[in-house]
Amino acid sequence: MKAVLGALLAELRGIFADRQVRLIILAALVIYALVYPFPYRAELLRDVPVVLVDLDRTTSSAELARRVDASEAVALAHDAQDMVQATRLVQERRAYGVLLIPEGFERALLRGRQSPVALYADASYFLMYQRVMQGAAVPLRQLGAEIEMGRLIASGTSADVALAQVSPAAQVEVPLFNPAAGYATYVLPAAFVLILQQSMMMGLALVATRRSTGSGHPVWRVLGRMGAWVAIYALLLPLYLIVLPALYGLPNLGNTGAVLMLGLPFVLATGLLAQCVAALFRRAEVVQVVLLALGLPFFFLSGFAWPVEAIPAHLNSVAQLVPSTPAIDGLVRMTQMGATPSQVAQAFWHLWGLVGAFGLLALWLEISGGHPRSPDTDAIE
Amino acid sequence: MFAVMLREFRLLLRSPALAGLVVLLPLVMIALLSGIFRAGIPTGMAVAVVDLDRSHLSRSVTRMLDAAPELQVTHQALSLSEARALIVSGDVRGAIYLPQGLERDVTRGERPEIVTFYDNQHMSAGSLVARGARNAIDAALAGLRLSIRQGQGEATVQAQVSIQPIALQSHALFNPAFDYVHFLLAALVPTVLQIIAAAGTAYAVSLDFGPGRHPQVLARMAGGVLPAMLGKILPYTCVFLVILGLSDVLLYGLLAVPLRGSLPLMAMGAVMFVLAAQLIGALAFVVTRDMGRAASIIAVITAPAFGFMGLGFPRDAMAPLAQAWGAVIPGTWYVELRIDQSLRATPVDLSLTPLLWLACIAGVLAALMLVQLLRLQRGIKAAS
Repeated sequence: MKAVLGALLAELRGIFADRQVRLIILAALVIYALVYPFPYRAELLRDVPVVLVDLDRTTSSAELARRVDASEAVALAHDAQDMVQATRLVQERRAYGVLLIPEGFERALLRGRQSPVALYADASYFLMYQRVMQGAAVPLRQLGAEIEMGRLIASGTSADVALAQVSPAAQVEVPLFNPAAGYATYVLPAAFVLILQQSMMMGLALVATRRSTGSGHPVWRVLGRMGAWVAIYALLLPLYLIVLPALYGLPNLGNTGAVLMLGLPFVLATGLLAQCVAALFRRAEVVQVVLLALGLPFFFLSGFAWPVEAIPAHLNSVAQLVPSTPAIDGLVRMTQMGATPSQVAQAFWHLWGLVGAFGLLALWLEISGGHPRSPDTDAIE
Repeated sequence: MFAVMLREFRLLLRSPALAGLVVLLPLVMIALLSGIFRAGIPTGMAVAVVDLDRSHLSRSVTRMLDAAPELQVTHQALSLSEARALIVSGDVRGAIYLPQGLERDVTRGERPEIVTFYDNQHMSAGSLVARGARNAIDAALAGLRLSIRQGQGEATVQAQVSIQPIALQSHALFNPAFDYVHFLLAALVPTVLQIIAAAGTAYAVSLDFGPGRHPQVLARMAGGVLPAMLGKILPYTCVFLVILGLSDVLLYGLLAVPLRGSLPLMAMGAVMFVLAAQLIGALAFVVTRDMGRAASIIAVITAPAFGFMGLGFPRDAMAPLAQAWGAVIPGTWYVELRIDQSLRATPVDLSLTPLLWLACIAGVLAALMLVQLLRLQRGIKAAS
């Protein structure tokens, strides 16, 4: 017990006495939490600018343009004479789509023929593309339905039969969770988990590279360190996963106890992985750079932003070794989607499995005495 | 200066830590990133169908859903709450609700509702589900409307025209295959390289300019502090440019990302981008004289840089301050230049803007570096 306590205190000293570690764990928190969410504060895209190329110039084409302009998603911000001019505006990023109404649009409608309209949406920005398609397709479809109905009624069909024929069933789309499709609400809950993991790994790996061999049995030493991490992250984890999201106005459907229950194996697995990483790369500088570079790949590997269905199987199995993969999935489901602990049981046991595996590895490293060299002993002169 | 450069290359060969950081790490990252996105467009999102009608129509809608490339019907749920639980636990990405009496109500003209529920917390997967379901249900309903008109004796061709008076032809500009992998990779590789170039350069500089090292020896060897610093930085510029070039060969060659622009422009941008990223690292070290603090500065600038590039959430929609912060990061402009000159086929004159920004950033960083070096030179002189 004394050995455990000794290791715990030594680890706490290692964390708080080292300026660099303090800098990483505490300052990184503040700066990341402020800088990272910064681009997404606006949350929603409204009135995405679209160019109108109206070659018909009739009442019908003007009506069509008016309806598209009235949609929340897009605004017909520019008028262009032809496609060349319009394309240029899109290339300048002053507009993200072109609505082309060809000559003879009204004439074709009046004659009961099919009247085509072309929509060019900038597909280099996923969100812009979606908004432009939404903003134009919905009013276009409505107008089309009204015209078809008008024709049916004119030919003597009763109004309700005509409606049923034009649209036999109503299609309703209900987004569950993040109903406003806010970008911050989408990305931040997952990003906070990853930032927590990366800054924690960086800090604790740094401590590990600088630590001198402790006294006592290796098992107690490792256990003591784990106690130190739990003590510190009992404060930091709720800050990242509950307080920060609340400050950014994100929904929180999970209860604190359940979040902490999932957080415990996450913190332990991350800390133990940090020991292995430290032993693998040995030098503090190298560990830091490697972890910095790995942030983005870890995020995409977690299967959150890039659907896991599209990640190659062998990479996906590697991804399961990173604590953030199950942690992001479990924590996002719990806090954003209101999953009960039993619904995220898989993530929970997955994380404990990692704790076991990395724990054994860290223990083995501790026993084999492969304590890292200090960064100065093999410096290049 | 050349003596220092040669010495640096030899150092690179002898020091596994250095070589690992500036050569192996970026190569592994590029392989990892292209591995993640190799499969291309995500398909086959699992969905549940809540079929309370069990009619000919509901079964045909289910078949259409399963046939959509975006979707795969993996579960049949008996109730909405069961479907919701499946979504929350992650077994499926969405659920389609076909109400009881669907077929009967359709034939009676009572317009029943078909509801698609999708997980919008996982927005990329969720919007795929919504799109796939919308198209599949549209197609099923269009088939129904067509057969009603045909039943009334309308010719097939005429009926097809009648059910869609305004035909929307939609075109995906710059990305006809609707493949975001190209865009993601074109931006992710420079983002990661920016981190590594800054941190790697800072580390290399720390080996000679750090506390306890002797920059004056290097300065004497090169004939001044400035050539000494240049001699330290430029070898890595070459290394990073070769790596960037390799990733381009992979991207535009092996992965067949279209290249519709000016190569010289892209090359110029690449040189300025790498230099600017390196200068961020070198400057961070020279100012702090401590690798740990330098790494923290580099982390703050380069680690969240991806979000500011506007590939996910567009730059135009960001707050002005966020746009400004993005504008001073070299990667933002290099990625814009890259995407413009490869995928968007942007006219050359428009791409001068990002190039100019890159030049400005590199210029300002170089000037700051010069000031620091002058200070260092004075320090060395005073010491000797």
